[in-house]
Amino acid sequence: MAPPPSGPTQEDTASSAAASESPAPAAPAIKAPPPETPTAIRRRSYIVLSFWLLVVFLGLPFWWKTTTIYRADLPLDRMLEWADGKACRPAIPIQIAVHADSLQEEEANHLVRLAQHAIDDLNDFSGHHLRLQLAPRQDRPRESEQNPNSALSIHLKPGDATTAALDPYRAALDITYPLNSVPPLHSASSMLTTYIATELRSTFAEEQSIVSYLLSSSPTSKPAGLSPAVVEALEKRATRALRYAPTYHLTFSLFTDGPAPTTWDIDTAINEYMKPLLDVLGPIHNFTIDTQVQLYATPGVQSQTLTKDDLASFINAAEWPLSPSIGGAPTINFLTFIGNQTIGFPDSEGQTSQSWMIPQWGTVYLLSQPDTNSHVTKDALRQPMLTFGGHLLTLLGTPQSGSLPLRLSSLSRIRSADLLLRASDALGSLARLSRSLPSIAIPRNVADGVAKSIRHLEEACAGLGSSEALYHARIAEEEAERAFFEKSMVGQLYFPDEHKIAVYLPLLGPVTVPLVMGAIKEIKRLLQARKQRAQEAKDKKSQ
Amino acid sequence: MLFPIRLLAVLATSLFLPLASAEHTNNWAVLVGTSRFWFNYRHLSNVLSMYRTVKRLGIPDSQIILMLPDDMACNPRNAFPGTVYSNSNRAMDLYGDNIEVDYRGYEVTVENFIRLLTDRVGDEMPRSKRLLTDDKSNILIYMTGHGGNEFLKFQDAEEIGAWDLADAFQQMWEKKRYHEILFMIDTCQANTMFSRLYSPNIIATGSSELDQSSYSHHADNDVGVAVIDRYTYYNLEFLENQVKDLSSQKTVGDLFDSYDISKIHSNPGMRYDLFPGGADVARSRLITDFFGNIQNVEVDQKENGALEEELLELGRTIAMLRQKEADELNQYNNATSVPASQPTEPVKHIRGATALTEDNWWTKKVVGATALAGCVGLWALGSFLET
Repeated sequence: MAPPPSGPTQEDTASSAAASESPAPAAPAIKAPPPETPTAIRRRSYIVLSFWLLVVFLGLPFWWKTTTIYRADLPLDRMLEWADGKACRPAIPIQIAVHADSLQEEEANHLVRLAQHAIDDLNDFSGHHLRLQLAPRQDRPRESEQNPNSALSIHLKPGDATTAALDPYRAALDITYPLNSVPPLHSASSMLTTYIATELRSTFAEEQSIVSYLLSSSPTSKPAGLSPAVVEALEKRATRALRYAPTYHLTFSLFTDGPAPTTWDIDTAINEYMKPLLDVLGPIHNFTIDTQVQLYATPGVQSQTLTKDDLASFINAAEWPLSPSIGGAPTINFLTFIGNQTIGFPDSEGQTSQSWMIPQWGTVYLLSQPDTNSHVTKDALRQPMLTFGGHLLTLLGTPQSGSLPLRLSSLSRIRSADLLLRASDALGSLARLSRSLPSIAIPRNVADGVAKSIRHLEEACAGLGSSEALYHARIAEEEAERAFFEKSMVGQLYFPDEHKIAVYLPLLGPVTVPLVMGAIKEIKRLLQARKQRAQEAKDKKSQ
Repeated sequence: MLFPIRLLAVLATSLFLPLASAEHTNNWAVLVGTSRFWFNYRHLSNVLSMYRTVKRLGIPDSQIILMLPDDMACNPRNAFPGTVYSNSNRAMDLYGDNIEVDYRGYEVTVENFIRLLTDRVGDEMPRSKRLLTDDKSNILIYMTGHGGNEFLKFQDAEEIGAWDLADAFQQMWEKKRYHEILFMIDTCQANTMFSRLYSPNIIATGSSELDQSSYSHHADNDVGVAVIDRYTYYNLEFLENQVKDLSSQKTVGDLFDSYDISKIHSNPGMRYDLFPGGADVARSRLITDFFGNIQNVEVDQKENGALEEELLELGRTIAMLRQKEADELNQYNNATSVPASQPTEPVKHIRGATALTEDNWWTKKVVGATALAGCVGLWALGSFLET
């Protein structure tokens, strides 16, 4: 059987459709278009094929590449290990140098060994332990004084009775002992060593409880044997103290509700009363300072006697310009208000006070002065400044007990442990975040920051208790925070399917329709051609 | 038998007491209006009324983030220039002379809002425009605008989805950026906006259910448009009349109970299930925990004076000693230990044009040179063929 005359064109539905659409009835006989040459047909299939190849091998990879979200490889497991406290068990070794020049070398060694045993027996918290070390003899005073890693030095001197006193000017504990209390060389314990151990323990008790509280509020928590009263005090300290920042901005403000005073000797007062303190805090924090005077400032509470509730709303937050937002450092406010208000205590009669501290914010001091005085002298500022200084230490989280040098060195140790935990925590948050939000982009500098943070964390963890720990912990925390708060890791992460369709359809619809239709037609034609060939073969056979 | 149990109970309470007393130390408010144009006057006045309220209750401007997409006070169609009123009696000018708008005009975008919540901002962002909260901060988040099922429109240009909001809150929680959140939203189908939240410690409330509109309260004929929405109006009514100052003991539950469907004309929704302890604990939170700024002050006792004198003396002596020590140390050896806070050294500035980033400098040079050489080659080829 011969194929119908319009055979070749029938396969090409497009041209046949065009033919049927033409005003055919007008013409007496349907004038079929000339049959397509096989080369034209082949060329058409090549065109369709090449379009498809282009789309599949160029278009699709291009689309895939440009729409995938870049996610840098993060060491997620390592980060989570840090967060869970598995990577580092924070332990603060405290080096204590023992100066016992009045004893024989052997005796002194024995004494130190015994005292160390006594301390180990007393200590039940592994995160913070004291290590005694016999300091070199006084013959070479330079080295013995300059060991930067010893937190405290003990000076043993013979005396009448066993006494202990903290040196107010240095991190040193002076212990006197009666001559007969030195343990003989082969004794297992003695009164003196027990005494030294208990003294040391009580000296470091606050630091130890703070550290154990810090560690227990992290996931590594072990039931720390702290009494509820101690926990409450620690809780209070935590709410009072500001978050660690390398730099704080101090704002000294003079507020008055009238036209006077207009000037104050703040410059000399700061130099005289604040500067020494700021200098000692220098290794831990930097400070920037500004001052202001505000006249006709109405406090939030008008009454003459202020109750405790009034104090909370005394600061007129709506009108007083108290947040200068200068630079990037958090502000601590020290406010002197000229007024003769008094603070009333409901429970204790007759007691008065001039100042109060607002946790994590600063201090207010009520300074009463005659109205006519238009100048506040340096001497009048003495008491406020001293109060501010004391409160500054509290706001920075300094422990309350012990001599100042000791308090400061424990502050630096506490802060390094604190920063270490914070940095590990930030790493953990970032790891969990990148797992829970698979569509968030993670740029490469985040991975760099994480790597740097982990490196410094390792160093800080290894050197905890030494002076470098704070430096490393600070960098680790900074880097971890910067990685978490990376600016480009933002954007709308969730797109409903309707949105995707709405974006892609107008673009891809017109492109895909001819592509798909062309493919379908080509396939149809191929199938038909094959059928025809089979038919022809059959016909041939039957002939 | 009774005794040990009682003992146990006492022990248990003493153990859990510190946890229960964990409290917030600062309050923040994020107040967001999302619509532009004069006929949306009421959304701006909603936000400004809320702003007045939190300010009245003691949250300082530095802890309020106010987002206003349009300036109604300076709109040419405003018959009362320089003012915004939320009531036709025009008793209180909300605009006043002491208002601090943090994000305004085209700065109010979905991206900026999410950046604000997650604090993913650049170094150039001033502190006053950042939400510097920590794990002890309570945050009030109030939003108003035009919304729909699980979205809220920003300025007729884009929208924030309920999922995005939920993810932002989760990121905040993950980074310990809040203690508790009160999320309040006044828009059409508002309750759908908090349906996707999944982070703990959030109380959420909204003005209307799915397929319900949120209506305006009344119009001012002289202003010419509606001046406030119903839901916000009745919230404010409660806050103005019942929460006079910081000592108010009214709770969040009292506020929610005051909602009257016949007045609001839509069904306000609340969500407590994210709050540990559920509805009871959430409802017992004080209004001032979110709208006010409670500070637990510590008053000094008189006898501390002597102690501080001592402190000062100590400080001075120590400074002197340090100085001496440092001098001696410098003389002996110049061994440097790493200081905790390194003084910022003056950086040498290179004058003239400098690249912003130094990375890939050579690669870029090479690429540029190749491109240039290619162009020259093409030109040479072209002119060769032409001749």
